[in-house]
Amino acid sequence: MKIGGTPTQTDFHEAISARSDRWYSACLKITRNPDLAADAVQDALLNAWNKRHQFQSSARLDTWIHSIAVNAALGLLRKSKPGIFEPLDTDVESNTVRPERAWEEHELESELARSLGGLTEIERVCFVLKHLEQWRVKEIAAELKLNEGRIKQAIFRAVKKLRMSMQSMKREIDG
Amino acid sequence: MDKKLDKLIAAHEADIHAAPAHVVQQWHSAIDEAAALERGRVPAPAPRWHPTSFFWGMAVTAALAIGIGIGFFVTDGNGPPAGSQGPMVASTTPQSEIVPAAFTRGLQVHLRDSRQQIASLDQGADRTTLVLQLIEQNRMFETAADQNNAPKLARVLRAFEPILLQLAATDIAPEDAEALRAQLAFELNVMLTKLASESSDDSQTT
Repeated sequence: MKIGGTPTQTDFHEAISARSDRWYSACLKITRNPDLAADAVQDALLNAWNKRHQFQSSARLDTWIHSIAVNAALGLLRKSKPGIFEPLDTDVESNTVRPERAWEEHELESELARSLGGLTEIERVCFVLKHLEQWRVKEIAAELKLNEGRIKQAIFRAVKKLRMSMQSMKREIDG
Repeated sequence: MDKKLDKLIAAHEADIHAAPAHVVQQWHSAIDEAAALERGRVPAPAPRWHPTSFFWGMAVTAALAIGIGIGFFVTDGNGPPAGSQGPMVASTTPQSEIVPAAFTRGLQVHLRDSRQQIASLDQGADRTTLVLQLIEQNRMFETAADQNNAPKLARVLRAFEPILLQLAATDIAPEDAEALRAQLAFELNVMLTKLASESSDDSQTT
């Protein structure tokens, strides 16, 4: 995988062949929408291509594109559902699956992906950014324009819900 | 960090969804197109008065102004009040897009014009210049569609751009250009038919 120097067209093709499933997966976990995830990766690739001369010599091309894709996914999610990260008056725990989710879950097959669908938007995005993308709470708070306390609360609730769904998955397998 | 959480995170990290093959192919093509466009970049054309571009420039500007104006008017008049905290049905359910009629008409004009111009494209720098103009107009309509709360329409318009970019490349083989023109003509026809049937449905229901 390319490390350092200005990446060439071939480097991009190699990165797509080797890592695009990971970029797409990360974007899919954030957006839960295959079209938005695909758009996010494409936007990231074109962005990276246009800015390839700024590519840091110590970085890996695929991780650089990955981080641009995650940001693009957050941008597209925000654009498609304005105000989704805005705090509500009563930020209560909810287990309700909304109609759009039911549709999305039908499209996504894995049990784990389905368990992410049981989270609210903010819980899911915070969980993915913190635990799968290794962002700091401070960075997530800055990106989502929320205070750190709310981010920690969302991550805590996400983990709690995901543990519960994993337990029920395990029971189904064992039983 | 406890072991259970580690396990949970590891399971999610390992849960990779393969991107559909045609989408991966599209990403490869996007890089090729961007590279080709860069290699074959032509200098900006000297401004010249052309009756067609002048007319369409005016038409595009007028349609955008009306479309965006109606979009703002509709949002201001019927949207939720600022600071509304409750869940909004429009943003949480898959919705059919209600696009202002003036915007749809402007878009139809743009698509018809694009179809006509693509059908009569020549080879060479003129073709590149013309296609780049079409891309610019397409982007304006895409922005306007977003502003008019029509994300699906914006997405369809965005999908035209990679094909147009391929067509704009100066080093494209004539047979490839012909195939792209045929593909664009087909896509434009489909979209025009869809827009025409939707606007006739609207007029029947109103």
